[in-house]
Amino acid sequence: MAMQVGLKIWRYDARTGDRALKEYEISAPEEATLLDCLDIVKDQHDGSLAFRKSCRMMICGSCGMRMDGGAVLACKTRMYDIAQAGQVPVISAMGNLPIVKDLVVDMEPFWQKMRSVDPYLQPRYDQAQERENVVQQKTMDVIHKESLCINCGCCTSECNSLESDPDFLGPAALAKGMRFVGDPRDGATIERLEKYSEAHGLWDCTRCYFCNERCPKGVDPRDAIAKLGAEAMKNGIDRDMGAKHAKWFVTSAKTTGWLRETELVPKTQGLVASIKEVKFAMGLARKGKVPPPFPPHVAAEIGESRALFDLVKAQGRDGALGIVQGEKALGRIESHHEAAGGRDPYNEPDSAPRPFLPSEREGSEEAVSQ
Amino acid sequence: MEAMHDVLVVGAGCAGMRAAIEAHDRGASVGVISKLHPTRSHSGAAEGGINAALGNTAEDSPEKHAFDTVKGSDYLGDQDAIEIFTREAPGDIYQLEHWGAVFSRNDDGRLAQRPFGAAGSPRTVYAADITGHVLIQVLYEQLQKRMAEGMTVHEEYFAFRLVIEDGRCTGVICWDLLNGGVKLVTGKSVILATGGAGRLYRATTNAYACTGDGMAMALRAGLPLKDMEFMQFHPTTMYPSGILITEGCRGEGGYLINKEGERFMQRYAPNALELASRDVVSRSETTEIEAGRGVNGSVYLDLRHLGPEKILTRLPGSRELAMTYAGVDPIYAPIPVRPGAHYHMGGVEVDNWGLSEVEGLYASGEVACVSVHGANRLGGNSLMETITFGRRSGQAAAEHALSASAGNGAGEAARADAERWVKSILDNTEGERPWAIRDELGQSMLENFGVFRRAEKMEAQLGIIEGLSERYERGVVVEDKGEVFNSDLTQAIELGYLLDLASCMLQAGSARTESRGAHSRPYDFPDRDDENFLKHSITRWVGDGPELSYREVRMTQWEPMERKY
Repeated sequence: MAMQVGLKIWRYDARTGDRALKEYEISAPEEATLLDCLDIVKDQHDGSLAFRKSCRMMICGSCGMRMDGGAVLACKTRMYDIAQAGQVPVISAMGNLPIVKDLVVDMEPFWQKMRSVDPYLQPRYDQAQERENVVQQKTMDVIHKESLCINCGCCTSECNSLESDPDFLGPAALAKGMRFVGDPRDGATIERLEKYSEAHGLWDCTRCYFCNERCPKGVDPRDAIAKLGAEAMKNGIDRDMGAKHAKWFVTSAKTTGWLRETELVPKTQGLVASIKEVKFAMGLARKGKVPPPFPPHVAAEIGESRALFDLVKAQGRDGALGIVQGEKALGRIESHHEAAGGRDPYNEPDSAPRPFLPSEREGSEEAVSQ
Repeated sequence: MEAMHDVLVVGAGCAGMRAAIEAHDRGASVGVISKLHPTRSHSGAAEGGINAALGNTAEDSPEKHAFDTVKGSDYLGDQDAIEIFTREAPGDIYQLEHWGAVFSRNDDGRLAQRPFGAAGSPRTVYAADITGHVLIQVLYEQLQKRMAEGMTVHEEYFAFRLVIEDGRCTGVICWDLLNGGVKLVTGKSVILATGGAGRLYRATTNAYACTGDGMAMALRAGLPLKDMEFMQFHPTTMYPSGILITEGCRGEGGYLINKEGERFMQRYAPNALELASRDVVSRSETTEIEAGRGVNGSVYLDLRHLGPEKILTRLPGSRELAMTYAGVDPIYAPIPVRPGAHYHMGGVEVDNWGLSEVEGLYASGEVACVSVHGANRLGGNSLMETITFGRRSGQAAAEHALSASAGNGAGEAARADAERWVKSILDNTEGERPWAIRDELGQSMLENFGVFRRAEKMEAQLGIIEGLSERYERGVVVEDKGEVFNSDLTQAIELGYLLDLASCMLQAGSARTESRGAHSRPYDFPDRDDENFLKHSITRWVGDGPELSYREVRMTQWEPMERKY
């Protein structure tokens, strides 16, 4: 069965700078993806349309682009519901990367950042052993999501921090960094954490979570950045203002059970820098926005709060393992299988028949012989 | 004239990257060209795993691996090559693990191994069901490390001609996709690692990029192709997209059932059942479907009995693919699958070091035919071949380059000639668009040269290919006249490759009057004929068409026996 699909595509010629929003109306099979539709446009309507493609099965990462302003993998985006709703989506190139032509962006800035995190294992052992390293699966599971990254650039396209600071390492490169920091076979953990904590590094993430939202593979780059932060703090790498800021939240909650905001600025920026903020603080104080710093307000039952911190540490969750992660990872996407408890796959109205061997068929003798 | 690189690698999938790493580590200056960014290569879509006799899950040995491979090849594999392959595979796996490959583990922390089709022992090392992805990533990581040490990667360079001077290969002519323009890239040794040609078929697991570029370039440069009639049909490709669902699903215990629920494989392979060799399973499915026991031209791959936990931990990628492209959650419903074109056993004829007939020209991976796979490849053997023979060709190419002189500069004339040819394509405004020819080729190949082959259909297909080639030669219209990212141009050139290769395959297939491995003729020649056809077909392009001859299979210790699973 065929369906009619409308698309508006931002055409772009980087040489002349000409831009134009062109509308196309095509006929496509009902199972068509956005990538299939673009192919039909290119074959039958306008051969000059440029976009990248290869595997058409969500693994090569070629076809990242924007649909109605958000990054998608074209091959993962089924068009049926969109077309049925009469929606004519606007297709454009990914954000935060220079456009080469139409939907093709220059990925070099993306790869340059990837290279800058030393994206290869630096073995813990000098001498190669005869056989494989022995590593428990549970230990490797820490970097399961990071190792799913297909370098499509969807996260980079949507990163708000990159938009204001093009030098920010960005979600993909940082997730790649976590893939090595979390690998027990890597011997450069401290050096990596130092490097990733520098200016334009992991503390420049604004935690908008757009990367998690847009990643087509469930890598959850923001979670990877959080894990890097936790590992950095655990290893005492906390010179960056972002680290100090986060650290004060922890210290404050642990010691008094409350966030002591009055001390937050000096603890983050340092005493000297915060003197510059005195005038601003006075203004806040006049409006009753600054609680008196002394004596600090201590929560009742503060022992419980402190016990929680001890518990997390005893469980080894004071680093990456303590980061509560989303469950969008590969295969769990829209799984709902827990919620479907009690569902019997063999006895629903349209269930496929229960499997049986021909030799189990009643009265069957010819079955096994052939 | 100075060569740009000692070793030039064309293609950057698993074989190309492994070759480049080896050549670099042996002291050669290395350039890599690839029509995609390296991590976009289709090796990354491999799912199930990579075979090496590590013996981590059950006792195993390279000899057992070799025998399974020889038997799987229907005795057409070259046994000396297979022995090298299975002997060197374990070391290559350990190397990948030391580089950081994120493989799945056993309870004791060693590399896990799963059962695979036609394997006498569980020897398939894997990373859930994204093994190819993990390998591509680790190889590109190592490539990036070497890029900092001077290796050059020319991304999105589309190679379309070999430079051969005085019987030696000294470079390739490329179209620079990103910037436009016909470029010459030279090397003292050249390694082809351009992959397969699955795009010959409408139903294929292969990426859009798999258009047989390397085979076709070599063919037109006068080199012999070997065993071109053997195209493997993978038994579990999804309906309707043709997207691969890994053999690992059956390795983990999945069933194949027909529309009645019957596990029909018992009637075809009573011992191995679903884990028989791929050619056997594809034929069984096709027989079921033709007998009317299929659903929409497909059968079902049933994983329901495995339960959510196993599916989510061992086969998460397959579940995601099934949900996205077939609208089926395998926890609750079986996946509709059918045989689809998957892997070309044939390719550029090379020796055990990847060396072709021409000095300085090597090939490894799917583009090459060593031959390890013979008439039928075992699942998990192709990833291993890319690594082991990629490494070997990288080593041999480096050794050659370090003692060879540069070419004498014939490349520039070849480049200018190629530039005129490209201009003539771009200037052409009369004729049809390439896509109709492409679609007709894909559809007719599937109908006439698929799982089962009939003399009259192959005859008809030869005529169809001739007709399509004529239409193509008359000139197709490339609508994009620009320089920047002109994929309209490269796709038109790729179509020419596919047409050349199709005619080679049909000629070799018609002449092989027997059934062996993936070449099955149940209606006129149902049996294997070792007396006349225990030999490789060799195809050369002579004048304006392919010419066929044969070459002996290299045997060591295994005499052909009846093949039963």
